[in-house]
Amino acid sequence: MSRILLKNKLDDCIAAWRSAGFSVLAPVRRSDLSRFDEVERSTDMALDLVLPERTIKDHFFPQTEPLIKYKIKKHDIDSQEMLPPDMKRVFFGVRPCDASGLAIDDPLFGWDYKDEYWFKRRDNAVIVTIACTASDDFCMCTSVKLDPDSTKGSDVMLRPLQNGNGWQVEALTDRGNALLGPVASFLQEGSEAPAPVASVPVRFDVDRVMEWLADPASFESHFWKEISLRCIGCGSCTFLCPTCHCFDIQDEGDTFSGIRRKNWDSCSFAMFTMHTSGHNPRNTQSTRWRQRIMHKFNYYRGKFGVNSCSGCGRCTRQCPVDMGITETLQAITNLPK
Amino acid sequence: MGIQEQYISEAAGLLASGAVKLVIGYCEGSTPDRRRPVFVRTPAEAERLMLDGACVANLSTYLITEGLLSDGKSVAVFLKPDGIRSINILAAEAQINPEQVVIFGFDIENGQARTLAGRKASDFTSVVEAAKAAGLSADLQKESERLVQMSAEERFEYWKEQFSKCIKCYACRQVCPMCYCRRCIVDVNQPQWVNTSSHTLGNFEWNIVRAFHLAGRCVACGGCDRSCPVNIPLRLINHRMAKEVLDAFDYYAGESTDQKPVLATFRQDDPETFIL
Amino acid sequence: MSEPFEPKIVAFVCTYCTYAGADLAGTSRMKYASNVRIVRLPCTGRISPMFILKALQKGADGVLVSGCHPGDCHFAQGNYHARRRWTVFRALLAFTGIPEQRIRFSWISAAEGAKFAELINTLTEDIRKLGPFEQYHELQKVIETQSTY
Repeated sequence: MSRILLKNKLDDCIAAWRSAGFSVLAPVRRSDLSRFDEVERSTDMALDLVLPERTIKDHFFPQTEPLIKYKIKKHDIDSQEMLPPDMKRVFFGVRPCDASGLAIDDPLFGWDYKDEYWFKRRDNAVIVTIACTASDDFCMCTSVKLDPDSTKGSDVMLRPLQNGNGWQVEALTDRGNALLGPVASFLQEGSEAPAPVASVPVRFDVDRVMEWLADPASFESHFWKEISLRCIGCGSCTFLCPTCHCFDIQDEGDTFSGIRRKNWDSCSFAMFTMHTSGHNPRNTQSTRWRQRIMHKFNYYRGKFGVNSCSGCGRCTRQCPVDMGITETLQAITNLPK
Repeated sequence: MGIQEQYISEAAGLLASGAVKLVIGYCEGSTPDRRRPVFVRTPAEAERLMLDGACVANLSTYLITEGLLSDGKSVAVFLKPDGIRSINILAAEAQINPEQVVIFGFDIENGQARTLAGRKASDFTSVVEAAKAAGLSADLQKESERLVQMSAEERFEYWKEQFSKCIKCYACRQVCPMCYCRRCIVDVNQPQWVNTSSHTLGNFEWNIVRAFHLAGRCVACGGCDRSCPVNIPLRLINHRMAKEVLDAFDYYAGESTDQKPVLATFRQDDPETFIL
Repeated sequence: MSEPFEPKIVAFVCTYCTYAGADLAGTSRMKYASNVRIVRLPCTGRISPMFILKALQKGADGVLVSGCHPGDCHFAQGNYHARRRWTVFRALLAFTGIPEQRIRFSWISAAEGAKFAELINTLTEDIRKLGPFEQYHELQKVIETQSTY
């Protein structure tokens, strides 16, 4: 026996959470784009998507956000912090890869300096994940040692029932348990079997990849030039990635007042490492692509013990020239030992 | 022999004889319906080349890669009529020497690739003339007409909604053969004309600037529109610009390698009905 | 009764004709609406569309771009080039929903002080009727507030 949430009770849950002060966000299709956005009823949701085009990272680490408002006076500077407001949020229908992405980024935003802008949002959010029963040609969670029903980063796990009527509910954290409180009366006990999770083929050998990347000789390998030849240097793979977290600080305003903002930045851009002097230590696309792969599967794990990839496959799915992490890591896997 | 086999053997021949140092074409992609750009340097590698109805990308964008043509050697590239027009524009704007570009011309009809005869940009004059005669896309005209019928406020709201999705990944810029500036105006910060942040205002400004810089230069290859990860209908705004230069100045981008850029020239009797 | 709306208008003008025209209006003691801020440039050919965007970004409700009549350009061709650019840019702005009535173009010679004064008055009235360009300025206001999520 396990707890079951039937689809026809979902609207009751949404209403209960909303009246408990949560905003409920779920995948939606709006203005020709699938993404997480606030919903009021279950019919707003697009739960049939393998993955929304945009990640939930956007709601914790927005593409642009104000940090401080400043005013330069004669002998003084007035500044005012612009932290996000307190807001309790439920993210309903997150995919395990996106949820894992948050968990992967947590140590980064908190290891020396605790990034309030990230944690204020993180601490007030409950992640309700739905295990994947479908996948597409680009999904690769199993290749990075996650699964279509990984619980990493989730507070509540929902497993779709075989009969398609609802989900098996499992609270994973205290926050998850607390979220189920207001909706306890809409859950029921049941013994329906969950549907089998999607079978996602392993597309590369991540251990072999990490071993090769860790070899100092690989850094200057001709491999990087060959594999990145067709990269056009846009930032779509980094901006759609659930774990990419690089940002740039920009002051917007005039001479005496303005707003300091935190904007996404991408290692794919030529401007990313450009020095004021004009020197650019990563002056070719191959060195930038190498950085992206090295960072995800070598440097990041060196610092935080995990790879900075949750296997969502968006980088390949959306690439204008059909590149992406999968192809590169497959090629590394196939390199002669 | 099909077009694919014909071009593979010709590409291998050009590489073997040293007539070109590189062939830029298409090969198998990560799914059966995708084709990806490929760079072929030896006759043996030419076997990887593919050509069929799924080969839609405008590969001329790779010709502006820094240093690619600076050794004076030739490069062969697979191009549809829109790509050939791109070559004409790049040549007219002194970005490439068209003599260094060997063209494997093709067009897609009913999902099939068919040969366009010729090797140099100048061989395809009749192809470009036919494209001009066929006019701008009727589908796009219909779509953009829907917007033109709206009130200015409604139109503003429409684009505001669309541009609010923009994440400034600059895929539209990077994929475009016309965007060859060493330093794009959005990356210029002294003075900083356009907000670099991707808030809706910054996105609005960026998209206006991008569209303006492509006015009379866009060949409607659709690269930006396909590349946009957030599905902004960039095709509409580009189409509107193409229509404006056609209507006002009878200008069709990329007609020849010596066609003057539309905004770098003028006629004394250019229309000016709106000037007070 | 609230104060009548006073539009902010930025005029980008060439120094040889329209600026001299504005000067003539002044020295002739012609009165015109004080809503206009004049930015003097060497030639209409120097007036980049970026200027117009910047003016809107900084809160202008209307923009005027003005220079020498065709044939009168100090640099012979600057205004011909500008004219093409305006044609295209104006179409682009209109297509994105920025009303054509807010972005105006004119030819005003050094002798046309009266035309300048009259144009500024008409323009100010037209834009006063349209009201502030809230739709655009709203975008700037949003930036200046705290994140909502």
